[in-house]
Amino acid sequence: MGMAEKRISVVCPWCSVGCRFYIVNVNGYPKKIEFDYDHDIRNHGKLCPKGVAAFQHLRHPDRLKKPLKRVGERGEGKFKEISWEEAIKEIAQKLSEIKEKYGSEALAFLGSERCSIEENYVLQKLARALGTNNIEYVCRMCQSTAVAGKGMVLGHPGLTNPFEDILKAKVIVLWGYNPAATNPVFFGQYIEKAILDNNATLIVVDPRKTKTAKYADIHLQPYPGTDLAIALAMLNVIITEELYDKDFVAERAEGLEELAKTVEKYTPEWAEKVSGVPAELIRKAAITFATAGTAALLTNEGVNQHANGTRTVMAITEMMVLCGYFGKEGVMSGAIPGAHNGMGAGLMGIGPHELPGRFPLHAEEHKRRIEEAWGFKIPEKPGITYVEMIDAILEGKLKALYVMGTNPAKALPNLKKAEEAFKNIEFLVVQDIFLTETAKYADIVLPAAAWFEKDGTAISFERRVQRSFKAADAPGEAKPDWEILVMLAKELGFGEYFNYSDADDILREINRIIPPLAGATPERLKKNLKGCMIPCPDENTEVPRLFVQGFLTPNGKAQLIPVEYKEPGEVPDEEYPFWLTNYRFVGHFHTGTMSHRSKSLSKRWPEEYIEINENDAKRLGIKDGDLVRVETRRAALVLRAKVTPHIREGVVAAPWHWDFNYLTTDVLDEYAKMPELKTAACRISKVEG
Amino acid sequence: MSKKIFIDFKRCIACKACEVACEMEHGEARIRVFEFPDLTSVAFNCRHCEKAPCMEVCPVNALSKDDDGAVVLDPLKCIGCLMCGLACPFGIPKIDEYNKIMDKCDLCAHRRAEGKLPACVSACPTEALKYGDINDVLWAREGKIVAELKDIGDRTNVLEAYLIR
Ligand code: SF4
Ligand code: SF4
Ligand code: SF4
Repeated sequence: MGMAEKRISVVCPWCSVGCRFYIVNVNGYPKKIEFDYDHDIRNHGKLCPKGVAAFQHLRHPDRLKKPLKRVGERGEGKFKEISWEEAIKEIAQKLSEIKEKYGSEALAFLGSERCSIEENYVLQKLARALGTNNIEYVCRMCQSTAVAGKGMVLGHPGLTNPFEDILKAKVIVLWGYNPAATNPVFFGQYIEKAILDNNATLIVVDPRKTKTAKYADIHLQPYPGTDLAIALAMLNVIITEELYDKDFVAERAEGLEELAKTVEKYTPEWAEKVSGVPAELIRKAAITFATAGTAALLTNEGVNQHANGTRTVMAITEMMVLCGYFGKEGVMSGAIPGAHNGMGAGLMGIGPHELPGRFPLHAEEHKRRIEEAWGFKIPEKPGITYVEMIDAILEGKLKALYVMGTNPAKALPNLKKAEEAFKNIEFLVVQDIFLTETAKYADIVLPAAAWFEKDGTAISFERRVQRSFKAADAPGEAKPDWEILVMLAKELGFGEYFNYSDADDILREINRIIPPLAGATPERLKKNLKGCMIPCPDENTEVPRLFVQGFLTPNGKAQLIPVEYKEPGEVPDEEYPFWLTNYRFVGHFHTGTMSHRSKSLSKRWPEEYIEINENDAKRLGIKDGDLVRVETRRAALVLRAKVTPHIREGVVAAPWHWDFNYLTTDVLDEYAKMPELKTAACRISKVEG
Repeated sequence: MSKKIFIDFKRCIACKACEVACEMEHGEARIRVFEFPDLTSVAFNCRHCEKAPCMEVCPVNALSKDDDGAVVLDPLKCIGCLMCGLACPFGIPKIDEYNKIMDKCDLCAHRRAEGKLPACVSACPTEALKYGDINDVLWAREGKIVAELKDIGDRTNVLEAYLIR
């Protein structure tokens, strides 16, 4: 009961399934969550532990409530409170000064998969108003290889089909992806039903036997980053045994001959030597996949986060093309972004080479159209990518970084180097809901409203645009990110370009600027909680399935570009004999900004541990629960050992929500500039005493 | 009609959404997920026994059955003597250290009163947890087997097909 108790519908603030639920609010204060069994929504009312605990961090005592100015050393975390007026004034002054002195390219901005599309749109517009394309977000570190790889082959990186289609798939391949831990509701409501109720065959590719792999009929366990060898060998089998869909390929793809020639040498026997997976198992997987009739093939960071990530994505996508599994019911292909608006942020033009709508920077026609609408010029010179920004800071080229709702000081690879950069940058602004690891280095910290404390739109990995509504008041003086950006834009003298009084205003401008989103109007999304699947060119249209007619490449045909094998960036040797990889806990999220502050989650998943195969452990005299030292060329961590048969010999794995990235290398994928976050060479030893 | 929570351990992925959902409702989780080395996992809560030993031993009748057959505890009557905890073959009733009385699953009495499902069942993303009358739940499961058998029977000899499977 209660006089002013209200139920407000929100989108989950964690992963990208797009689950909805209610926040029950009493006089502006969030009291609890309630499941939504009333509407036809994607999660059918269900939630995973993060969703259920989603309001715990909202009222955590650590929430930032006032703007802060650094008084101590960088990284020390000592600040004094200042007024909004002072904070905005100082930021505007400093950004202008730096621009004046070093040019616009000395400025850079980081957007956020945790903020709304409206907020990301405003941020990139502000960067461009200031004359720079140095604008990025973490997609560079989780999905960029998938975007590049699928872009080259198919012309579009999005998930191809609606969730329901997976229920009709005959074979499901989960490659470098453990949805039972990363997207439990998607797993339970769709994948598990397809397997247990509809007898779909499951093929899993993962060095670890995960909760997902428990359901697998075929489980391939390659060394981390050697997936490319498996994909090439599967292409080899599909082509040499003529298991592909000849009509489909003839009509809708080009390049088969070249591809066939290239993969000739990549036999399953060759792949066994490279990946450690038995040739027979690879052959069996290829045949099962190619002869199923309908297939869903979902990939994730296990594929993406490698120095050969783009190549692997291309090879895997080409398997789907060869078998004719596109544009039909009962199939699915895609990579799954981590956060609830991972896809939306990218579409807003948060990219150093991209315009809003994901048009390339050099797409003159679009550029002119957008410039006309905005009233100012978009800078010509492409910006630099996320990881490259760190080098640019260290080289003294980048002087100011503005970080909205993201935590690079924990998400970047080779963290020691990143910390050096944050210590040495001339000016750093962080706007977030907590004092993150990154915020501790900031000159000015701005308190942002959390996801439930504002209206905003997100795009789930199903390409579904959904509105989330303000369900609680922000604590203290915290403000929605877009409001902060508008204040700053006005102070910088750009007021006329940033004339928004609410999120609806911004969404309406997005409707006008980005044609595939023209039909996702505030009115439509408010009326229809299930949202709509992009592209939605007008208010009555949406596109549940991609590639029904043709692919989105210039000539409409899939490009079977030949891919050669390339090793991951760092492989074991005598000095560092183990392959190191990482994984996620179902109860934690990314760098832990929110989940480490959720009591119910941190209590159940309190600490990290490193998984070691039982045979390796025996050899090294390590017992379950021992402390072990894990060392790479960059750093060492001491972690508790979990001795298990569920990881393959020669590989060790730890969750990445803690300090894992001190260990990783910053070698980059050549196409997408994705850092190799998923593997490194390491040595391990028991910590004595 | 007696309703219970049934657990299909084949579907459980040990995500602990049930534990967290219960904790959010009651301050303390009254359901626990056990994980085994072979990757199976089982969520485990009060069975609300037909002949509940906890109820039988309670010296002050703090435990009783409600209309849905749930064994619920009356906190005003409970004296924290721990008898129920001892008598329960599953060790379900737990002492609430702060109030010195017992705490146990009541199948979310307050939610049922509002026509809602128990919190753990509402959350469970895989539907490993089902709430309902045993006959309905069993029928849903058996019905599927019967349907499958019929389907096979239409095509070939039932017994043979079943053996081959
Ligand atoms: S599956 Fe993802 S979107 Fe759904 S409740 Fe869990 S974290 Fe939220
Ligand atoms: S029925 Fe309610 S009280 Fe019982 S375990 Fe489930 S959530 Fe907890
Ligand atoms: S919520 Fe369901 S799947 Fe998750 S641990 Fe509980 S019973 Fe298992």
